[in-house]
Amino acid sequence: MFEFPEFLSIPLAEWIDAGMSWLLTNWAVFFDAVGSGILFGLLHIERFLLWLPWFVIVLLVGLLAWRVMRLWWAGLLMAVFLVLIGSFGYWDLSMMTLAIIIAAVIISLALGIPTGIIMARSNLVESIIRPVLDAMQTMPSFVYLIPALMFFGLGKVPAVFATIIYAVPPVIRLTNVGIRQVSPDVVEAARAFGSSPQQILFEVQLPLAIPSIMVGINQTTMMALAMVVIASMIGARGLGLEVLLAINRIEVGRGFEAGLCIVLLAIIIDRITHALASRQEYTVQT
Amino acid sequence: MKNGNLSQNGEVCIEVSGLWKVFGSDAKEIINSEKRTASKESLLEETGCVLAVRDVSFQVNRGELFVIMGLSGSGKSTLIRCILRLIEPTAGKVLIDGEDICGYKSKRLIELRRHTTGMIFQYFGLFPHRSVLDNVAYGLKVRGVAREERYARAREVIAKVGLKEWESYPPSALSGGMQQRVGIARALATDPEILLMDEPFSGLDPLIRRQMQDELLNIQAEVQKTILFVTHDLDEALKLGNRIAIMRDGGIIQIGTPEEVITTPSDAYVREFVQDASPAKVLTAGNIMEQPNILLYEWQGPKAALHILGTTGLDNAFLVARTGKLLGLVTLKRLVELVQKGGSSLGEALEPDPLTCTPDMLLEDLFPLAASTEYPIPVVDDEGKFVGEVYTSTVLGSMIREKTEEAEAEAAKVEAGEVAAEETKTDV
Repeated sequence: MFEFPEFLSIPLAEWIDAGMSWLLTNWAVFFDAVGSGILFGLLHIERFLLWLPWFVIVLLVGLLAWRVMRLWWAGLLMAVFLVLIGSFGYWDLSMMTLAIIIAAVIISLALGIPTGIIMARSNLVESIIRPVLDAMQTMPSFVYLIPALMFFGLGKVPAVFATIIYAVPPVIRLTNVGIRQVSPDVVEAARAFGSSPQQILFEVQLPLAIPSIMVGINQTTMMALAMVVIASMIGARGLGLEVLLAINRIEVGRGFEAGLCIVLLAIIIDRITHALASRQEYTVQT
Repeated sequence: MKNGNLSQNGEVCIEVSGLWKVFGSDAKEIINSEKRTASKESLLEETGCVLAVRDVSFQVNRGELFVIMGLSGSGKSTLIRCILRLIEPTAGKVLIDGEDICGYKSKRLIELRRHTTGMIFQYFGLFPHRSVLDNVAYGLKVRGVAREERYARAREVIAKVGLKEWESYPPSALSGGMQQRVGIARALATDPEILLMDEPFSGLDPLIRRQMQDELLNIQAEVQKTILFVTHDLDEALKLGNRIAIMRDGGIIQIGTPEEVITTPSDAYVREFVQDASPAKVLTAGNIMEQPNILLYEWQGPKAALHILGTTGLDNAFLVARTGKLLGLVTLKRLVELVQKGGSSLGEALEPDPLTCTPDMLLEDLFPLAASTEYPIPVVDDEGKFVGEVYTSTVLGSMIREKTEEAEAEAAKVEAGEVAAEETKTDV
């Protein structure tokens, strides 16, 4: 009876399709350049991780965990987790996954921290960026996975791209919040002593925002890891692909093994970055 | 404005003329229309704009400690921020060393803040992520002074404010009073010509506050800066200020020396203030008592006592029993007589009928006691134990002020009756 009126329909889908094909024809060079840049970095990270003997990585991770968590048994536990991953037979695939995460996180921070800073300096910019971040986090990831595929082709680059879209919001948000919550008294004092805007940012606001930014880095890393399984659907080799294959073949045991490796990797990365973040907080408060 | 131009014939360092600050979107239109005379409340109601500073003009001479006094909401904190353009004035001029800084581009303004002025804040505004040393060196750092040099200078200033052992600690490890010393050191480190102090001691407890005021006066005697000091405390204003400007609802209603403010308050508002500031009705012996340099104990012999008095150059000291109980006052004159007589007990050199008071005794009640003796009055607790001494001069000094105020108040009462009739209750 009350059908939605025909004349109110908006052909958004057509517009976006038109925009896509325009981008694909006119900006192909640009996307190729970006894609090969990402691929170049990613392959080097991957090659380096695979070149390092496994016991060196186990040792380094164990030492790092011990240093930042200040518990010898925590270091040992993290090392044991890595050995477990290896003993399941997923060492190489884990390193590939790790390489994608590292590349995505590095790019996310390089984009996210400056964006967070700009957002903190202007209420207008904040009110524009905030809904964009909401969209990035709530949009079903397949929606941008496919366009990523069209821009960058199959493989690891669109996986990194999709991972960045999903993982960058936390570091932007928390950089923004961290800078905004710096006490106005302190900023005023810095101004009164003749600090230039850059000096206020680098001497006062950013150092005081570090605990918050570290939490953002932790969250960004975890979200990147969560995205890896989905990203495998567009051909990124790694643990995610293994899970996908196992499920397709109904090999429950294999899927469980690969899934467990992702969990172990997540625990290692989370505990280390979390300890880094809370250590920052500690030094600031004393 | 009474006595507005009365000042020592010094060189003018800061000159503020016709300064306005109105917060709100149509601030400029308000100042240029007939609304400029409207009251703060009606302005807020009609236009939604908040008037903070209204047409303020004054001059501060080089080396002067100029106090701006007013209650909260009187616009004093906004005013002091306008002078550095931490808050942009809506209209008016601020001249520092004859130059109108309102015309400065941001680069010049930063240079001014780096080289000419230093500021001290009510809530300290210290950098929580830096050590005391780095806090103090901050002004030099932003100026681009090399590390070694700025640390050397910062250490020098830290020593001056008595925080030598604390330089590597973060500010949060320090007490409020110590944090404000860091604030003062930070402002002094750049050796600015002008110090702006925004209620620097208001957050400190009374004992520390008084101590810091004394220290400020000492530092000022040494460095001779031009100081603009904002406070809501009249006693503080009277103690520190060479001249005082009293603010109310954004405007200055009187400028004068402390003497002038007390003796010739410009209107009922100032008078009310000055009357409330009668310390004799508030302060007790416990507030103003001090610890004596020396005490004599009952087991000491007369010759030893004579030696002690001789080396300190005092002509009297209190004699205290082993239990801490006050026995009386030993004077040099009686002690010499006792030694000549060959007496052995200090008890024989006591002044007869000693006066005493308790810590909770009001200054008002101390006046008659103080007038009847030339020696300090001992303060004893309920059990007769000695806890401190009150100097006659301190008591009498505040009495003189008290008397002047009382006479003023009496004389003003008749006049005030009329004023009060027109003045619709100033409940500030």
